[in-house]
Amino acid sequence: MRLVRSELLKIRTTHTWWIFALIALPLWGITLFFNYISSQFLVDPASVGAPEAAQSEELRVAADPLNIASNLYTNGQFLGVMIVMLLGIIVVTNEFFHQTATTTFLTTPHRTAVVLGKLVAAALLGLLFWIVTAALNLAVTPLILSDLGLGNQLDQGAVWQAIALNGLAYLLWAVFGVGFGVLIRSQIGATVTGILLYLAGYIGAGLFLAQLAQRFGDWINNLQLLVPSLASQLMTTGTDLPGNPPRWAGAVVMVGYAVVAGTIGTLIMRRRDIS
Amino acid sequence: MSDGRPSPAAGNGQIVVSGLTKVYGTVRAVDNLSFTVEPGRVTGFLGPNGAGKTTTLRMLLNLVTPTSGTATIGGRRYVDLADPLRHVGAVLEASSAHKSRTGINHLRVICAAAGLPRQRADEVLELVGLTPAAKRRFKGYSLGMRQRLGIAAAMLGDPQVLILDEPANGLDPEGIRWMRSFLKGLAAQGRTVLVSSHLLSEMQLLADDVVIIAAGRLVRQGPVEAVVGSMTRSVRVRVRTPQPDELVAALAEQNARVERTEDGALVIDGVDAPTVGRTALTAKIELHELTPERPDLEGVFLELTAGKAAIR
Repeated sequence: MRLVRSELLKIRTTHTWWIFALIALPLWGITLFFNYISSQFLVDPASVGAPEAAQSEELRVAADPLNIASNLYTNGQFLGVMIVMLLGIIVVTNEFFHQTATTTFLTTPHRTAVVLGKLVAAALLGLLFWIVTAALNLAVTPLILSDLGLGNQLDQGAVWQAIALNGLAYLLWAVFGVGFGVLIRSQIGATVTGILLYLAGYIGAGLFLAQLAQRFGDWINNLQLLVPSLASQLMTTGTDLPGNPPRWAGAVVMVGYAVVAGTIGTLIMRRRDIS
Repeated sequence: MSDGRPSPAAGNGQIVVSGLTKVYGTVRAVDNLSFTVEPGRVTGFLGPNGAGKTTTLRMLLNLVTPTSGTATIGGRRYVDLADPLRHVGAVLEASSAHKSRTGINHLRVICAAAGLPRQRADEVLELVGLTPAAKRRFKGYSLGMRQRLGIAAAMLGDPQVLILDEPANGLDPEGIRWMRSFLKGLAAQGRTVLVSSHLLSEMQLLADDVVIIAAGRLVRQGPVEAVVGSMTRSVRVRVRTPQPDELVAALAEQNARVERTEDGALVIDGVDAPTVGRTALTAKIELHELTPERPDLEGVFLELTAGKAAIR
């Protein structure tokens, strides 16, 4: 507990967290705009000139008001979890970048405890980012939904499920970031690799798997699960989309990644000479 | 700190290093090193650059894992101390704080992790004279202020044992004098003070005991006077006289070696000062100066570590 308090104080006493918050806010606004446009398309494809025949089964399900609502209520996740992951990375790599690791491990020679403190502190920070985005989404989404001629959908359990799973995604990405930061000690190395993996995983693997699915059949789409950024997206769809793995599977994969990254990171940290 | 008595929890505060070895690849950075450091005294830990001082201190503090051997403080390994900061304070490198964190917040972060009351941060800042800079960011601190902040952090838990790696680095003469009296004061309260340095003249003023290492091995350990005294064979006598040639001739019979310095003095090796005086008197040679040159720690150190390459 002491260590969590100390870690939170470390975060609070530097600029990092509010700089990241300032970055996250406009990104939230931008994704909201795009989600608004795409929701409009899903509700009324003809309005943007898409022929009726082009609609796939998947799109029809995505156009379910429930899924539109879930998507909007979890708006900002795509870049939000990336920012939370970067915060998790920085919580660890700062210790080496600013050479504070010596002081930290002198104060607490049990290094596993230090890493656990960082995991919990980063997770709490991730949840804070989630709470703020969720509050913003709850304020704005009903306005958009009524503009689209849909109810606010807040009486639907699935919507709240999506919001809650979104919180889990924020938490897990923060934990994932800490593990990643321990694995790659260099601050620049870790942040750049983290961003590349996140975005490349999302775009690259998505395209790659779609190609493979066309050739070998839809089951390939289930492999999306193995890509962390796709797995966490999957967690926030309102209902299970056809041709996609179930939502809970995305959560399981993310928990798995977070546990593996955290464990490997801790084991490395325990053995490493601090000089 | 307030009542001047160290906490009793760290045992007697004796540091025992036993057979300590660290091998990096093919380099034996520290090689079967054994020594003890006693409470109530300032112990200077000396060695040329690259001798293994920092590695030894880091092994003592559980930051670096020894290849073999042990290092204990008050009979326990650092990692086994329940509240390490309440037993041991360490100052390792001057730059170990986040650049944009203020001095006071740096100390509060440590207080939170160590379970120490928050106001200890204010107290130790006062102790090292940094209160006016408490709310300034670390990047604005001079090297001397950073050293003081490091010492403040080490004093947070009012420890029985103080370990400092090159604390005089970057301090101005005023700061060095402050550090000297501060550390001597801590030792006088019965605390253990271990200070590594390569500034030998400073160590001669500060240390009661010295541990000298070179190439990762122990060269000499003991009280400063004893270590310096063990080299007395090199006592030399400095003489000024208007009749240098006659004195050289008279001393030649005593098997003394004489060197002439550029400023006209004679430096005599092989006989002591009374012998020189008596020889001069007998030969009716006028003397203007007769000074025995005690070997200092620096001379002893250079002699002891000569030929042990620092870069390995």
